[in-house]
Amino acid sequence: MNRASISRRQALQQVAMLLGGAISAPTVAGVLSTATRRAWAASPQWGPRTLSAAQLELVATMAEHIIPQTDTPGARGAGVHRFVDTLLSDHYPTEERDRFLAGLADVDARAQAAQGKTFIACTPEQQVALLTAMDEAAYPPVRIDSARPPETWFFRRMKEVTLVGYYTSETGASRELRVNPMGVYRGDIPFPASGGREWS
Amino acid sequence: MSAYDAIVIGSGITGGWAAKELTEKGLRTLVIERGRNVVHRKDYITEHKPTWELPLRNARLSVGTKGAEEYPIQARTNQFRESNKHFFVNDHKHPYVEEKPFTWIQGDQVGGKSLIWGRQVYRWSDLDFEANLRDGHGVDWPIRYPDIAPWYSYVERFIGVSGEKLGLPQLPDGEFQPPMEMNAGEKLVKAGIERAFPGRHVTIGRVAILTQPLHGRLPCHYCGPCERGCSTGSYFSSQASTLPAAQATRRLTIVPNSIVHSVLYDADKNRVTGVRVVDTNTKATREYYARVVFVCASALGTARILLNSTSSRFPNGLANSSGVLGHYLMDHHFLVGARGRIDGLLDRYYQGNRPNGIYIPRFRNLGDDASRRDYVRGFGYQGGAGREGWGRGGGEAGFGVELKHRLQEPGGWSMGMTGFGECLPREDNFAALSDQTDEFGIPVLRIHCTWGDNELAMRKDMAASAGEMLEAAGVKDVRTYDAHREGGLGAEPGLGIHEMGTARMGRDPKTSVLNAYNQTHDVPNLFVTDGACMASSSCVNPSITYMALTARACDYAVGELKRGNL
Repeated sequence: MNRASISRRQALQQVAMLLGGAISAPTVAGVLSTATRRAWAASPQWGPRTLSAAQLELVATMAEHIIPQTDTPGARGAGVHRFVDTLLSDHYPTEERDRFLAGLADVDARAQAAQGKTFIACTPEQQVALLTAMDEAAYPPVRIDSARPPETWFFRRMKEVTLVGYYTSETGASRELRVNPMGVYRGDIPFPASGGREWS
Repeated sequence: MSAYDAIVIGSGITGGWAAKELTEKGLRTLVIERGRNVVHRKDYITEHKPTWELPLRNARLSVGTKGAEEYPIQARTNQFRESNKHFFVNDHKHPYVEEKPFTWIQGDQVGGKSLIWGRQVYRWSDLDFEANLRDGHGVDWPIRYPDIAPWYSYVERFIGVSGEKLGLPQLPDGEFQPPMEMNAGEKLVKAGIERAFPGRHVTIGRVAILTQPLHGRLPCHYCGPCERGCSTGSYFSSQASTLPAAQATRRLTIVPNSIVHSVLYDADKNRVTGVRVVDTNTKATREYYARVVFVCASALGTARILLNSTSSRFPNGLANSSGVLGHYLMDHHFLVGARGRIDGLLDRYYQGNRPNGIYIPRFRNLGDDASRRDYVRGFGYQGGAGREGWGRGGGEAGFGVELKHRLQEPGGWSMGMTGFGECLPREDNFAALSDQTDEFGIPVLRIHCTWGDNELAMRKDMAASAGEMLEAAGVKDVRTYDAHREGGLGAEPGLGIHEMGTARMGRDPKTSVLNAYNQTHDVPNLFVTDGACMASSSCVNPSITYMALTARACDYAVGELKRGNL
């Protein structure tokens, strides 16, 4: 047996050890997702630490409009609202947290002005109309960042945290998109010019 | 307390190498580490964790955010994230004084920054070793490329380096494993640049990451985030490589949680005798003794220890008869370059997370037509191309089913690159002891460092040349950038994490601390082999040069020990 083949055998043994036994590489993703599904399952005790129940529902509703359920779950199913509460509680500086909460209040103020009720109380069509107006203000056709009105900060941030929360969730990363598998690197491979799924 | 043949201060990239070389050559060696122990594999607590298991989804913990409260300095680097903050120093515990903006990124564990380093490894050439002599900045290096070339090979064969041979005199080839592959965008830009600029080259990064098995370590499995630790030992770290080799000799002892207060000196014999440490848990003081001491505590850590090791013979710091100890601090200046959009190639993609990018070797001031009048020395570029991911949705209008379907597919290609520029050695860039002490009773450093006219002039060319090359390659919407803000944060010294030069090598004991073998001119059994030893900075990532100098110095020290000269 030459040295290269010994190295290869040792290599395979090391991989097996890392994975906690003799299991083959293709099952790794499955092993991880079983464990992590358990870890990420919303525990019945979970409750928001920064958002009120009404604010949590507002975030979940807006997030679901941004990334709705299709053939895969949407933002609500992926727990984006819980992630947003975690960000506000454990990551955002106080001023930034308050700015985000003020943005939520402004959404309800817009709903009150347009429909005479809170955002949650609006019909889905009314909600989409409100969000469409905010989206158009936040992303003007000609992008001149300095000219963007300051009140669009919230909607852009809301969209960003929705995308992060969704596409880094297990649902978003492994069901909506594909987890980039470990093992090999192929630097330049053919890909369907349309209809192909990106790596999460 | 017990005596050893050798003491090595620090267990990072150079400390690990010193431990390996000294133990393999028969010396009973004590490695002293300030930080906690980190056990290979077991303590890589975030390795292979899917993002959804990290509560903040691996957020970048920037200055001022919750999660970064104890890390107001470390949080300045983009490397500092939720998934690897445990490998950075707590700034409240190990403070320093910034007289000018200087970001000191530090590890605080066994393995040091070898766990989180950038892994890019490039040999120096005589263009670098002769630079000081040629243009008069700094002092002449006491060595030339042939002195270190065999040690580069020795190091590369042990750590494993993947890369492409180019045959360039300014960037000598090494002992390479097969290179990683470029992606379609990088191949396109490479072809365009090399067509438009004969003599310039775009190559895949040369990295201390395996593409073939080596010494029981496995080739890279392309999970992506090396900086969380690697259980397969696929990238070089002290844990994966040098410390196991040293442990195999049974002559290695490691004491973590022990910060060195000073090196002990016997004036009658003109020899160092050991070190005094403070236990970081109990604050108790201990001493260890040995016949030879290697200081590998990082450029600034080493300067601090030696400056604090005073005696009547060396009132201004051990082995500092020259007075240059702490001075000529350097770093690479970077975060200046260009980026843009690549049209087309929508039928090409890649698979796996390649922990590496492309490299453009230095092409300025090689002594040819590309030489400049407005600055000396040169720079290289690191960069890469890729397809945009789901994050692009945050910058585009639209929401709902249409957005979700749009983000299922990868976006278009983009390409970016940042220069890494050489920094001149200047006397007025320095670290000295302040009048404040840390909780261990050791004076903390005050650091005074700025970019000079040469670096700032070079940066203009770094941005312009990057833009010019991308445009020549057909990249669209090319935008140049320069993160440097005069007197502020952005691309301040230190952020490159290539700090070096505080105990420089040289030919003259009056103007340098170390001789050609990293031995202090003043005290024969005291060696410094980390970044402190550098007499100039080149523009390439420095770690492999530190490793080669360390191995070479150990070989010399053991020989001198056996000859009875130490």
